[in-house]
Amino acid sequence: MIDIGIAGLSVRHAGGDAALADVTLYIPAGQFCAVLGASGAGKSTLLRAVAGLVDADEGRILYDGRAPDRTLCRRIGLIPQDFALCGRASVAQNVMAVADIAPWRSFTGLYPLPERERVARLLAGLGLDEIHLARRADSLSGGQQQRVAIARALLHRPAVILADEPVASLDPATGEATLALLRNETLSLGASVLCSLHQPALARRFADRIIMLDAGRVVFDGTPAMLDSPVAPSRIQAVAR
Amino acid sequence: MNVAVPWRFPAMLDARTLVALFGALLLLWYTGQRVEIGRMLTLSGEAVLAEAGLADRSQVADGLGTTLGQLVPVQLSSRREVSRIAGFDPARLPPFAHIETVETRVSELDPETLRRKDRIVRTAWLVEPFGYLFHVAAKMLETLEIALWGTVIAVLIGLPLALCGARNITPHPALRAGSRATSAFLRAVPELIAALFLVIAYGFGPIAGVLALGLHSAGFLGKFYADDVEDADARPQHALAAMGVGRLTIWRAAILPQVLPQHIACTLYTFDRNVRMGAVIGLVGAGGIGQELKGRFDMYEYGHVGTILIAIFLVILTLDLAASRARRAWR
Repeated sequence: MIDIGIAGLSVRHAGGDAALADVTLYIPAGQFCAVLGASGAGKSTLLRAVAGLVDADEGRILYDGRAPDRTLCRRIGLIPQDFALCGRASVAQNVMAVADIAPWRSFTGLYPLPERERVARLLAGLGLDEIHLARRADSLSGGQQQRVAIARALLHRPAVILADEPVASLDPATGEATLALLRNETLSLGASVLCSLHQPALARRFADRIIMLDAGRVVFDGTPAMLDSPVAPSRIQAVAR
Repeated sequence: MNVAVPWRFPAMLDARTLVALFGALLLLWYTGQRVEIGRMLTLSGEAVLAEAGLADRSQVADGLGTTLGQLVPVQLSSRREVSRIAGFDPARLPPFAHIETVETRVSELDPETLRRKDRIVRTAWLVEPFGYLFHVAAKMLETLEIALWGTVIAVLIGLPLALCGARNITPHPALRAGSRATSAFLRAVPELIAALFLVIAYGFGPIAGVLALGLHSAGFLGKFYADDVEDADARPQHALAAMGVGRLTIWRAAILPQVLPQHIACTLYTFDRNVRMGAVIGLVGAGGIGQELKGRFDMYEYGHVGTILIAIFLVILTLDLAASRARRAWR
């Protein structure tokens, strides 16, 4: 169980304008936290900064009160917005890339039985079949690639999951089923989740907490029920509807 | 949507590009003077006009015509004096071979009578209609074997050089600098020069050829592989790195599948180049078809030279076709 602390995080674009401005958040271990906001609000930048893919201009990000090192990073599961799969590699190779297995097994494709079973269970849960294992990632549809990226992020039983619009390429029904699987997996793992979404309804249904960003600043931070509270500004209520 | 003011599109030729183009032209003009490009064009033009019957003579056309004319007819058969073949058995001739007896009248001085005396000398020759063709094929095979092993050595050295020399996966920047410098050094020593030294060390034969080709092309593959690795899509690498995946696994899972087609294309080209260079390094005694070519050229046996050149051309053409099929299969 790992918590995430974000203190005074600021990230500026190359042009100098702020992508994130003084964002301070604490995500307790095991909490499913949805990040909402319009396009360009800073959701992806926040997730990329927390994942270490973007350098912060100011502020700190701590996991369990510590700066992330390789051991801590092994406990992170990342679902990038663009999936970041290796297109020419098979689905099996892409997912198994994060498995804790000996390098020779990774090179030969002789994966251990427990890992094979877990991959099969994850992919089946995400609506993919055995025939997809050998297919190249770039031969899959966008939605299928997204599900492969989710399976990859969950395979090594992470304690922190950073999901950047994990259901953006999926139809509503599949998106809901996928988010349900993500929710169940994270519950069983006790993982902390920071998940950006464009669908407020899904955020209301699956998240313990909703953070809303606007122009790189946190403008709302509370439970889904608080969104409907009369004290929430009408602008926020409109976005979250 | 109405756009009130027309949008400004970026110019293809801006001032900086024009200055760079002008600089490049200036450089070509200056260096062209030094390497006599003008004279080359004049002589080549004269040759074309002479061949078209529009000019009387051309130094280039005469010289090339004489030499190329001597390459045909190409030599296919071989003739060996039977008395010089160790353990020759007339009952077991090679396929298609026959024995030809040539009678030669020899005029000698008789030591007893001190008078000239004519004598008939019969010489038996073993004639093989495709003997020289088979000999060239065997030498070509040796060149192919030298090129193959040169390429294997190049891959074995080039791959670790690339893994250390690619910015995105090198364990340390100093190792990257060292690896890039080693690749540059190996490329800087031409095969022919390397073969000269290696022939001194290992003696005449294929060992020097294999090492000369292997070391030189390792420099090329070390650079090409490293450049491919650096140019690979960084997104899957970054995603895996963010999840704490080790450098070797990132290379295996996120880089190698991307760069494999380029690696295969580079390796096939290196093999193709090694076959051609294998013919050249034979000139300094490093084995293969080159040694045969040099021998025949020095003895002005241009028919034999023609056979060798055609054999090299056919092998390169076949390799090119095979390589393009292999590249298509791995695309």
